[in-house]
Amino acid sequence: MRIASLPQPAGTGCESGFRGVVCVSFDSADDTADHDAGGRPRHDLRFTSANPESLSELRSALLRSSVGIRLVLTGSPVDIHAAAAVAAECGLAEEEVTLVSDESGLRVVFCAHCRTRTETVEPIGSEVECQGCATDLEIANHFSRRQAAYLGFAANAEEAA
Amino acid sequence: MNTTIINDQNTGDTAVLPERIKGFPFPFSSDSYRYSANVEPAHKIVQTDVGSWGSSLIDVDEYYLSDLKEREKVLEKDPSRTAVLPHMRPAVWDAITTLLPAMAEDHPDTMSYHREGNVCRWTNTLQNLELEFTVGDDDSLPMGPMRFLGSQITDDIVFLDPREDTLWLDAGLVTFAADWSFGFDVGMKFMEVHTPVPRVTTEPVINRAHQFLLRLQPGEQFRRTNWTMTVDRRLDTSTESYPEWARDRGTIANDPDLPNRLHLRVEVQHMLCLPHTGAVLFLVRTYLLPLSDIAQVPVWRERAGHVLAELPDDMAEYKGIIRYRKAASDWLLAGE
Amino acid sequence: MTMTALQPEVHHAVKDGLQLEVTDVTRQTESIVSITFADPSGAPLPSYVPGSHLVVQCGTGANAYSLTGSGTAPSEYTISVLQVADGAGGSLAMHRLAAGDLVYVSRPRSAFAPAATARHFLLVAAGIGITPVLSHARACAEWGIAADLIYVHRPGAGAHVTEAKELLGSAVTECSDRVSFQKTLAEKLTTQPLGTHLYVCGPVAFMDAVLDQAREHGWPSARLHSEAFGAAELDAGEPFTVNLARSGVKLNVPAGVSLLETLEQAGKAIPNMCRKGICGECSLSVLRGKPQHRDLYLSDQEKAENTTMMCCVSRSLDEELELDL
Repeated sequence: MRIASLPQPAGTGCESGFRGVVCVSFDSADDTADHDAGGRPRHDLRFTSANPESLSELRSALLRSSVGIRLVLTGSPVDIHAAAAVAAECGLAEEEVTLVSDESGLRVVFCAHCRTRTETVEPIGSEVECQGCATDLEIANHFSRRQAAYLGFAANAEEAA
Repeated sequence: MNTTIINDQNTGDTAVLPERIKGFPFPFSSDSYRYSANVEPAHKIVQTDVGSWGSSLIDVDEYYLSDLKEREKVLEKDPSRTAVLPHMRPAVWDAITTLLPAMAEDHPDTMSYHREGNVCRWTNTLQNLELEFTVGDDDSLPMGPMRFLGSQITDDIVFLDPREDTLWLDAGLVTFAADWSFGFDVGMKFMEVHTPVPRVTTEPVINRAHQFLLRLQPGEQFRRTNWTMTVDRRLDTSTESYPEWARDRGTIANDPDLPNRLHLRVEVQHMLCLPHTGAVLFLVRTYLLPLSDIAQVPVWRERAGHVLAELPDDMAEYKGIIRYRKAASDWLLAGE
Repeated sequence: MTMTALQPEVHHAVKDGLQLEVTDVTRQTESIVSITFADPSGAPLPSYVPGSHLVVQCGTGANAYSLTGSGTAPSEYTISVLQVADGAGGSLAMHRLAAGDLVYVSRPRSAFAPAATARHFLLVAAGIGITPVLSHARACAEWGIAADLIYVHRPGAGAHVTEAKELLGSAVTECSDRVSFQKTLAEKLTTQPLGTHLYVCGPVAFMDAVLDQAREHGWPSARLHSEAFGAAELDAGEPFTVNLARSGVKLNVPAGVSLLETLEQAGKAIPNMCRKGICGECSLSVLRGKPQHRDLYLSDQEKAENTTMMCCVSRSLDEELELDL
């Protein structure tokens, strides 16, 4: 069953003072349709990815809402982490946000050395080449919700060349 | 006179120990080391085998100006070493109005602080500095409050905001990190910052420290020490600059100059609950002493040698010393 | 224990505190007076976190009162005290204080701190509960953060109303009956901008009702704060006796004095560092009796075994403990 409403044009979002559940899904994720809003008013937003336009639409929807709101984010780590960072900036507390993550999706690795963000499907603990400085980065199990990224640092740097 | 004269067992000479050794916070009290919440009240003077340390909150020693110069260089190259999330602005001002008077009290010959309402006068003759600023007015300090505080104390500065029953690392200025990235960790919870610590699941020490910091009352000041090792007198061993210094970890074991290049790195960490905001201030002052200096104190030489030899592999790995700790302990213990 | 007859013993709750002089007493309402304290030498007083309280020793007792200032670099501390009809809680003695009197007070303690991340405050007070909330309102004004205040009081019995209105203007709503309060509260709880935190102070039943209602309207616990005096400090505890098995000595540990202090006074050198129950240095072996564990060091399992205790904070559940000392 699909109960999600059609995507709405930017700017009209939910009404001012909304205090229900905002369900945001990225890409093809259908999971938010299954999220039980517990009988509370529900507003659906569907985006292809967490790009500047979609994040700005999310931001304005949140800033129009009132205390009592809950946010459910569904999609790949790369998208839902970026959206969660926006929610935190807007003043949402952790217990007001639920993340439904597709762990097989893309995640972001932040290069500690050149600060470039590299997207990858490689799991935590493996290595990925930085798209900025071409360093082989080890993906640490160290996540920053503000950067919406995992820490990457030079792998094997202690071995003599 | 308080110079200490000891008999150097290697050379048979008597040597007058320099300040950097006499004031060094040597961290080992026995021949083995494990994590512990080795917390004690600030300001308590600790007698070591050859001197003492710990009388003041902010230590001003022979490295004061050179360390601050080094900090400026690091910040110029990488401004991400400092950050203040917007809600932490009052806490930074709280730290300034707490630490400057504490420094003036501990170092009355060189520093003075006067506050009249929100207008403060600060004099620091070590820097030829005399200025007036207004609490809460960021523009009244030439480089903003956080950078200013970081230009007056050599400690790395971390602010923890207590909310939602946890502590959030939401501001700071860290140029002398021991193998972590402040810029990446800003915004994390205290427990998340410490996720890479091995044994953290079996050793309750981090959680205990967390509970302790959460319960600090405004005005309370405590401290603890921590340690690792660093090749050369390199203060900036952050994750950011890791590619510059990582190689040394692999080559130092075979370097004939190891005793002079390899340093014991001790952090004196102060934990304060700021009086007006209730934010927890975590200050980290880094001391580096080469093994050749450690060896000038026979008791230190032996104890450090045993600690390095005995340390479990996972802790040696986490401290980043596993590739050379045997070479270091061999050298230290060969002097017995 | 030595003590001079003229100098009353310093209550444990104000130990390591300050001795201040009463500089002003102002009547707020028929039953509420504001009392101002300052350092007798005119020295500045420690800053405090908005919403903090002060423990004041008056007569033989000591009670906590909210500070009503913003806490920024104060030269004086002001509290407001409601005279309780049955005289319980020392309010009668407090109302007898006059300018020039010297009193012992604790350092300000924080247990109702404003969230640094709050974008907006919804302050709710009933009666004398206005005091910590007024402190918040002042801090909001200083840092330029908006706040709404709902203040419930009997007609004509509102303290600090003028000050609150000077600080918050039309954002103050006074209610003197249940119906208008319910209406105002429901309206405010459903219209607060994202990032608002709610602070409530008043009688326990009043606070519970406000918090329940907020939860019903979807407020998460992270946004709800209520004043609970003294929650941040350990209580004095019951007196008990320790029997030092190896020394053959019995010592009395009075309320408000730690076991560690008692042992030190008796000339026992006990290794210790933090004196706050975290470092584990002052561990003692218990041979008999149940310790009242109040430390952060021992695991739950270790506590349950009752063979070890941290003497800097922990006490006894039994009348007597036997220690391996």
